[in-house]
Amino acid sequence: MEWQEVVKRLFQNKISLIGLILVIAFALIAIFAPWIAPPADPRDPYMVPRDGWGFEPQPPGEGHIFGTAEGQYDIFYGIIWGTRTAFRIGFIIVGISSLIGIFIGTISAFYGGWLDEILMRITDIFMAIPFLIAAIVMTTILGQGLRNVMIALITFGWMNTARLMRSQVLAIKEEEFVMAADALGASDLRIIFKHVIINTIFPLVIEASMRMGSMVITASTLSFLGIGAPQGYADWGQMISFARNWILGGEGNAIKYWYTVVIPGSAITFFCLSWNLIGDAFRDILDPKLQ
Amino acid sequence: MKKSKILILVLSLTLILSLSIGAMAQVKNPTTFTKVNMGTIDSLDPHYQYDNASSEIYANIYENLIMFKKGDITQYEPMLATKVPTVENGLVRDNQTTYVFPIREGVKFHEGGTLTPEDVKYSFMRGLIFDRNGGPFWMLYGPLFDADGLADLSSRVVGVDDPSQLTAEQSRELYEQLDQAIEVDGNNVIFHLPKPNPTFMSAIVHDNGLGAIIDKEWSIEQGAWDGSPESIPEYHDLAKEEDALHENPNGTGPFELNTWEKGQRIALDRFDGYWREPAQLERVIINYIDEWSTRKLMLQRGDADVVYMDKQYQSQVAELDGVELITGLPNLYTGYGLMNWTIDTQGNQDVHSGKLDGNGIPSDFFADIHVRKAFNYAMNYDAFVKDVMDGDGQQARGPIPEPFLGWEEDSPVYTMDLDKAEEHFKQAFDGELWEKGFEITILYNTGNSMRQTASQMLKYNIEQINPKFKVNMRGIQWGSYLDRLVAGKFTLGFIGWGADYADPHNFTVPFMRTDGTFGNFKGENYAEFAAEHNIDELVNSGVETTVQEEREEIYTEIQNIAYEYATDIYLYQPTAHILMRDWVQGWEYDPILHDGIYYYNIYKAQE
Amino acid sequence: MISYIVRRLLILPIILIGVTLLVFSMIMMLSPYQRLSTYVTDPSQLKNVDVDVLVSRYGLDDPWYEQYGRWIKGVAQGDLGWSESAGATVNEAFIDRFPATAELGILALLPVVLGGIVLGVFASVHHNDIWDHVSRVLAIIGWSVPTFVFGLIMLMIFYGTLGWFPPSRLSAWALEIVNSSAFINYTGFFILDGLLNGDLAIVGNAIRHLIAPVVTISILWWAFIMRITRSSMLEILRKDYIRTARSKGVTENVVVYKHAVRNALIPVVTVAGRMVLGLLGGLVITETIFNIEGLGQFMAQAAQQLDYPAVLGGTLYFGFLLIVINLCVDVSYAIIDPRIRLG
Repeated sequence: MEWQEVVKRLFQNKISLIGLILVIAFALIAIFAPWIAPPADPRDPYMVPRDGWGFEPQPPGEGHIFGTAEGQYDIFYGIIWGTRTAFRIGFIIVGISSLIGIFIGTISAFYGGWLDEILMRITDIFMAIPFLIAAIVMTTILGQGLRNVMIALITFGWMNTARLMRSQVLAIKEEEFVMAADALGASDLRIIFKHVIINTIFPLVIEASMRMGSMVITASTLSFLGIGAPQGYADWGQMISFARNWILGGEGNAIKYWYTVVIPGSAITFFCLSWNLIGDAFRDILDPKLQ
Repeated sequence: MKKSKILILVLSLTLILSLSIGAMAQVKNPTTFTKVNMGTIDSLDPHYQYDNASSEIYANIYENLIMFKKGDITQYEPMLATKVPTVENGLVRDNQTTYVFPIREGVKFHEGGTLTPEDVKYSFMRGLIFDRNGGPFWMLYGPLFDADGLADLSSRVVGVDDPSQLTAEQSRELYEQLDQAIEVDGNNVIFHLPKPNPTFMSAIVHDNGLGAIIDKEWSIEQGAWDGSPESIPEYHDLAKEEDALHENPNGTGPFELNTWEKGQRIALDRFDGYWREPAQLERVIINYIDEWSTRKLMLQRGDADVVYMDKQYQSQVAELDGVELITGLPNLYTGYGLMNWTIDTQGNQDVHSGKLDGNGIPSDFFADIHVRKAFNYAMNYDAFVKDVMDGDGQQARGPIPEPFLGWEEDSPVYTMDLDKAEEHFKQAFDGELWEKGFEITILYNTGNSMRQTASQMLKYNIEQINPKFKVNMRGIQWGSYLDRLVAGKFTLGFIGWGADYADPHNFTVPFMRTDGTFGNFKGENYAEFAAEHNIDELVNSGVETTVQEEREEIYTEIQNIAYEYATDIYLYQPTAHILMRDWVQGWEYDPILHDGIYYYNIYKAQE
Repeated sequence: MISYIVRRLLILPIILIGVTLLVFSMIMMLSPYQRLSTYVTDPSQLKNVDVDVLVSRYGLDDPWYEQYGRWIKGVAQGDLGWSESAGATVNEAFIDRFPATAELGILALLPVVLGGIVLGVFASVHHNDIWDHVSRVLAIIGWSVPTFVFGLIMLMIFYGTLGWFPPSRLSAWALEIVNSSAFINYTGFFILDGLLNGDLAIVGNAIRHLIAPVVTISILWWAFIMRITRSSMLEILRKDYIRTARSKGVTENVVVYKHAVRNALIPVVTVAGRMVLGLLGGLVITETIFNIEGLGQFMAQAAQQLDYPAVLGGTLYFGFLLIVINLCVDVSYAIIDPRIRLG
């Protein structure tokens, strides 16, 4: 299928259209964050401003349209600037880990033999630790901070891409046109790039799109556990961690502090939803068996 | 279809089952007491444990020679001794260097043994030999041997620094030293002190596990110190997994151990052979649950009688039915900002350039009194006490907290005054600092909102004073916090100290003495300052007299030095609180056990 | 087949050593003082402590290979070391916590797989009409909600407001019974033990405590199973024999449920096997939020306290589990579908 055709179908498909609209909306929020929620201290725009030093969250009202979280952090500000954080986390982690995965998968499949064996066993080793636990261990060791979260998630996030890439390349390697190119004496590198990568790009994009959502969830999970973004940093998971001790509310009104969970929770959910919708529709479009 | 019918059946069964059980959960057992706490129990060995969660268990299982009078930590009452030694009753003799304890007869241990004076001596000897690194026995080595611990004594007596390396001969020699301090004479146990020491009694009183009395024969059977003078190296400083008494306690207290599920739950049963009236509660269960919401709900539903609550969530429980929140209890604790006077700038990201060039701070940044004073004036004490602590607590007035000697209501303290802060910043480093500015990163340990907020207040205020001042904050895990303290790379960060025993000496040593826990982290510049002002001598002189007036004068002076030279940022003394069901009766606050409860007097009844 | 199994089993120790080396090398990035925080957990424990003595007691400043060697030697003797955060040996800590995790995991697997299959079949039958889209979008929404958000909301509504599904494994009164001497703990699985002891109240209470965490896990994984069922169904519904059946006038229900589903389930079953490990990761959060003292919560806690014997031991257990599960899946796949060649 051609590029143009795929894009056209993505826009025609209602499911992916919803996803695309959501992603664009989030992107606009991220781009215009300094105008939507002007930072108090331009040197440090990712620090959520505090309105006082008290602890009890305050409900949505004047001055704080989404209310304030524990410690009087403005939820609205956190949501707006957190969008930037989410995009940054998603793009960097998915981008770099995909590149690593593509590199390892391609080399492994292309050269085969003992190199393949070694690379695949290394992949096995990285896959043998449950992802979240590996991420927790590594972030704890590197110390709190988003940069360290990203390093940890990249370190343990490339294996699926590598495996996918390897199986794709193996399949294509069998195909005639690659063999033909090989016979004509084209250099290894050119073969890899010209034929293999071009032909495997779509499955990779699906994979990457689905991982955008899950990586943002994992990063926010780490923040929720208190080992991700530093306290007060504009990050959705971090905003929800403020809610942890308030979820059961006060006497007779268990959902008194609902806004501390529901608002940042919706932000994460919609963000991940948009990427997952695109990925899911994409997969349908590209899967020849389902046409 | 068939399948869906089964599904409906299962669902409705589950529902019925759960509803009927919901009704049963309302039944409350009046003779079982449930507490839900946070954290974990470190050890059940009274000579090993040195943390709040463990000492609560110890206090209900084991007993000491003496105890505090109910609700008063300045007066003693007999426990396993039949009399509290005083100069008046003649049991404190020889210019307060001899203490005689007549031992109670007919006291039974949980496992059946009977208390003898030999048990008492064995208990102290075993503990002194055990003296684990980081354990509590330094409190006893001071008054009894004028030493820091067994290692210190060993190097003094036989010249070996590590008691685990002693030969049998050396071990015997060292043992003699220990042995002569504690003597059994008929039904009395006599302690010989090298010189008068006002902290001795408060170190061995009940609440401090180091004075717990264990059963000699039984303990030897379990594999604890065998009583031989030659085996010091084998039984000194053992790790938990090698400690014979780690998980099987046997004391004379009102409760005995039923089960201990490590990290989760401990259950104590009433000891019916107790030498006083048996306790009113048949069973005490302490669960350890870190999630506040769960603890709160358990209390609300009456499944728990007492739960641990962080101060900042008190608004959630203020109006709960059947729940009582008691606040404003005395808390022997000082929270402060530690300033490192000698920062190791080598490879230290928190000092940035490491020089006085506007892009960092030099190693001796906090050695300049004007910098320290400026920081002190830049702290928002009122807002901290009012908002962060919700008004329950007060600004600290130096290392010594209320109500100890040296704490005075009208002593001078810093208040937030940005003009004065500016004045001092201008004088710092002969005006160079003001001109060039600085950048510093101050630290807090993650998860501690109070410390994070205190750091943020400093940042907020100092950055207002001069646009060239940049204060960053960095949250690091406790492990890294510790690492930076030990390595001398710490800049400024908040930390605190709670009382081990009821004496101001317990505060002046760690905060002020150059070899104290915190003083030690402040490096050479502080040592120089301390030498100049004879601080170590001053701190030591506080325990070289037992005359109250003299001591008071010494401690007042120490408080004053802390203020005058702004050695650190003394920030707060919190109050304690307890959250319980209103049917809990007979509870009495004990500021040394702190969150821990002595269950002997407690019963449950609706008033 | 036999040779394949043997080969995989031979690789097993290599992978396990690789995994532990990987974790160990991460831990070695910390300074000895940082790792000391496992043993000195708050400032009060610094009283009169000589940090350097502690460092050398635990051998924290030895070269890494000595420390690893010590650990591996212990493992060879079945001793995984002492977990400071559990206050017990690593083995004890794991055995204590295993039943809670296994009970939750096994109970969650059932609704996840069944629910996912039902949704998937439903969507494939309604391919490309509105029901297909609705069920898919719902499943994707479930996949997109972070576990901790969903869990917190569950707690807020079903515990805080309605009081139906309390957290932790049992209510206080039930714990009393379970811990009493009259109740025999055969397995540590409260549902099973309750049945074996003939105490239905315990069974009911245990189930009641499991509902909210099971739902929380299910929501997440439904999308996963559904997706595979759906595409596998769509593929099979186009196969010749189905067309033949249809053309022979067999009713649509019989076609779908008797012929297609059975064949479509093969890939689903194998995927469900692999999902077990993903579930283990998901349990970290679910257990933390619902206060279930299981392996997931313990691992998260141990990792945050840098309790490295527990972390190393945990990765060893999980790695072993993963490899064995994968092997079983591969082999059973080959048995179900002889066309698959193992290699």
